[in-house]
Amino acid sequence: MKKRLYLELENCIGCRSCLAACTQCGGHEERNRNYVYDVNPLVNRQTMPLMCLHCENPACARSCPAQAIQIHETGAVLSALVEKCIGCQNCTIACPYGIPKFDQEQNIMYKCDLCIDRTKDGIPPMCASVCPSNTLQWLTDEEIENKKKQFNLDNGKWVTSMPYLEGETNVKVNLPGILQGITKLF
Amino acid sequence: MQAKAAVNQKSGNTLNNAFASHFAKSMFLSVTALAILSFIGTRMFTHVDLNLYGYMVGTIVFIGGFFYRFIAWGERPPTKLILKKGLKLLFRKSTPKTSVEHLATYNFIWNRGIYRWTQHVLIGWGCILSCFVTFPLVFGWMYFTMDNNGHYNIIAMGMKVMTVPAEGIIANLSYNALNITAVMVIAGVCMALYRRLKNMQARAEQKFLYDFLPLYMLLLVSITGLALTFMNIFLHGAGQPAMSLIHQWSVIITLIYLPFGKLAHIPFRPMSVLARNYREHYAEQGMKECKVCGDQFVSIEQSKDVVDVLGVNTIEFKAKEGHHLAEMCLPCRRKYRIAQFSGFPTHEVKVKEANQNAKG
Ligand code: HEM
Ligand code: SF4
Ligand code: SF4
Repeated sequence: MKKRLYLELENCIGCRSCLAACTQCGGHEERNRNYVYDVNPLVNRQTMPLMCLHCENPACARSCPAQAIQIHETGAVLSALVEKCIGCQNCTIACPYGIPKFDQEQNIMYKCDLCIDRTKDGIPPMCASVCPSNTLQWLTDEEIENKKKQFNLDNGKWVTSMPYLEGETNVKVNLPGILQGITKLF
Repeated sequence: MQAKAAVNQKSGNTLNNAFASHFAKSMFLSVTALAILSFIGTRMFTHVDLNLYGYMVGTIVFIGGFFYRFIAWGERPPTKLILKKGLKLLFRKSTPKTSVEHLATYNFIWNRGIYRWTQHVLIGWGCILSCFVTFPLVFGWMYFTMDNNGHYNIIAMGMKVMTVPAEGIIANLSYNALNITAVMVIAGVCMALYRRLKNMQARAEQKFLYDFLPLYMLLLVSITGLALTFMNIFLHGAGQPAMSLIHQWSVIITLIYLPFGKLAHIPFRPMSVLARNYREHYAEQGMKECKVCGDQFVSIEQSKDVVDVLGVNTIEFKAKEGHHLAEMCLPCRRKYRIAQFSGFPTHEVKVKEANQNAKG
C-alpha cells in the first residue's frame, strides 16, 4: 500500500526532532534538509515544520540545466546527483518554498529526498519516524481520507494543496484545527 | 521580456526539427575531422594498425550516441540558457583558474571528502591519461618506428618528434603508460565499490544500470588491459588474441554506454565552468533585492532567467502581493509559506530565522 507523508502543521511543538533525525538518514552526511519555523516569534510559541513537498511538477527539476534532480518512481523528487550538479543554483531560486540548500565549498545542491532508501521500501522517512506530536505522519491515501471525514470540515476547507500551496504535491499538508477554529496558535 | 520570447519560441519548435539537422551536421563534421586527421597522421593511411580497427568503429558509434544525447539535452530551456550565456562569457579573467579547479584538480570534491577526491583523481586521471595514449594510436596520429641502433622514434601527426633509447626512461614510461593508468583506475573503482558497502549515501540512489555498470565496465577494461601485458611478458603471448578481443569489446561497450549513464558527466561537466562564469558575471552586473527583506540574494539576470524558464514550463508562481516567488530570498520565501498556512505574516516579522541546523 503506497503511503505518503502527511503534515498536520498545528501539532508541532518545536522540538526539532525531525531536524535531528534528518541528519542521521543515510547519505545526508549529518546535515538536515528540513526546517522548523516560529510562526510569530516575538509573541507566541507556535512552530510549524517546512520541508520539500515533492511537487508533482517540481520547479526545481524543471529549472535544472544539468538534469541533476531526478524524480523517483515513487514520486519523490531526489537530491542533486553528485556527479551531475554543476552548481548554478537555479533550483534554489525556482522552488516556490525555498527548500533546496546549497553548499558553496562542495559546489553542490542538497535537498530532502524523502529518505528514498527507506521510503522506496515503504519505511517512513526519518522525520515522520521520530515526530512525537503526530505533526509528521506516514499514511495511506485511505487513512488520509478517513481523517478528512473525522474532521468534518466545510467543503474547500480541507486543505491539502491549493490555495495554500502553489501546485499539487505528493506530500499532503493540513491544519484542521486552525481551519475549524478549535485550535488556536500557541 | 525579450529573453522570455526567445525561449518560448525555441521551445515551440520541438526537439525533432532542430534535432535532425543539428545531429547530422555535428556527426558529419566530426567524422570528417577524424578522417582527415587520420589521413594526415598515417601518411595517407600507410600506417594503419588494423588490430585497432574495432576501436575506430567503437569511437564513431560513440560520437553518434554522444551527439544524440548532447543535442537533446542542450535543447532543454535551462540548459540552453546557461550554454548560450556561459559561452559568451567564456573569456573572463577567472576562466583558466575556474577550469583548472573544476576540471583538473577537483577542489570541490576535496571539500566533499579526501576519500572521494582520491577516488576520483585515480579514476578520472587514469581514464584521461589512457585516452591521451590510446586515441592517437588508434587513429594513427602517433606511432613508433624503430631504428637499427636500438632507438625508437616517436612520430606524431606524421612528424618525428623524438628519438629515445629503447631502454630509457621515456620509452619505458610510454610502454607502461597504459599499465600505470590501469592500476590507477582499478584502485579508484575499488575505492568506489568499497564506499558503496560502507557509506549509505552511495547506496541510497543506486540502480544497477546507472551506478554499478559503469564501475564494472571500467574495472573490466583495466583488468583485461593489464592481463594483456601479463600474457605478453610472462606467458609469451599465450591467450593474447582472445584477451585482446575481450579488451576491445569492453572498451567499445564502455564508449557506447558513456553518453547514457553515469559517465555522461565527463563530456557535460565543463558546463560547471560556464555556470560559475554566469553567476560571477551577472552578480557583478547587479544583485536582486529580496522583495520582503531587501537582502541581495542572487543576480538580477539569474532571477529573471529562472522566472522565464519556469514560464516555458507553464509554471508561474505569483504571490498575491504581485511579485514572483523567485523574487524573495530563501528564508523569506520559507516564512512566506508558513504565513500562507497560519494566516499570520511571519515573513514580515523582522527576526532572523534561527535554530535551523541540527548538529548530527
Ligand atoms: C571533466 C572532468 C570531470 C569532472 C569535473 C568530474 C566530476 C565528478 C564528480 C563531481 C563526481 C562525484 C564525486 C563525488 O561526489 O563523490 C564524479 C564521479 C565519478 N566520476 Fe567524474 N568527473 C570528471 C571526469 C571523469 C572521468 C574522465 C572519469 C573516467 C571514467 C570519471 C569517472 C567518474 C566515476 C566512475 C564517478 C562515480 C564515482 C562513484 O560512483 O563513487 N570522471 N565525477
Ligand atoms: S518543494 Fe521545492 S524542492 Fe521540493 S519538489 Fe517542489 S520545487 Fe522541488
Ligand atoms: S544547483 Fe545543481 S541541482 Fe540545482 S539547478 Fe543547478 S545544477 Fe541543478
